[in-house]
Amino acid sequence: MATLSYREKSLYASLAAEFVVYGPYFFLHQQNSVNNVAGVIVGIIALQSVLQAIIALVTRNRVTDERDHLIELRGYRAGYLTIATLMVVGLGMLWFHATMGHIHLENRQAGLHFLSVFFGMLIIADIVKTATQIVSYRRAL
Amino acid sequence: MKSGIRNQIRELRAGREMTQQDLADRVGVTRQTVIAMEQDKYSPSLETAFKVAIALGVTLEQCFRYEPNGKRA
Repeated sequence: MATLSYREKSLYASLAAEFVVYGPYFFLHQQNSVNNVAGVIVGIIALQSVLQAIIALVTRNRVTDERDHLIELRGYRAGYLTIATLMVVGLGMLWFHATMGHIHLENRQAGLHFLSVFFGMLIIADIVKTATQIVSYRRAL
Repeated sequence: MKSGIRNQIRELRAGREMTQQDLADRVGVTRQTVIAMEQDKYSPSLETAFKVAIALGVTLEQCFRYEPNGKRA
């Protein structure tokens, strides 16, 4: 960890927090309540705050420079492309299944299902953003 | 991915017995950025390039050069 910059340590912590919080949420199928979504959001904020505070405490040199900003922008671009692609695919599938009569949009459960799907898209985009930044640091751009 | 910008940072720095961290502190970048520049994996902005040259006590041309075909001289 000594060879990693402050930003890199911060990114690894973010990725770890994302897997720790979002992993059980999706893989243990807890997407059956709006309260669970709210709980996950509170959980990720709390865990990120603790991890970032620890990293800030143990890292003496917290300088960020132009290369950090460039890598950050690269990550946001990858995240945007991911969410835009998932949105187009998701809306296309929604249109297809609604047209074919596989889903009924007036069903109360459908709203919860869409919330979960779009929340999942947001999380995937966030993970892609963080992973892209880590890869950019490892490849030194 | 290596760019067409080449530099003599490592050689100039070694000649002045300056560590990567020393140079990073003088320029205001991270040590990892100095490493990436020395390995020709990152081309700094013009402002940072000037700062590096000033920190090493040389002109911009003595520190950086452009290789159109992307190969080391």
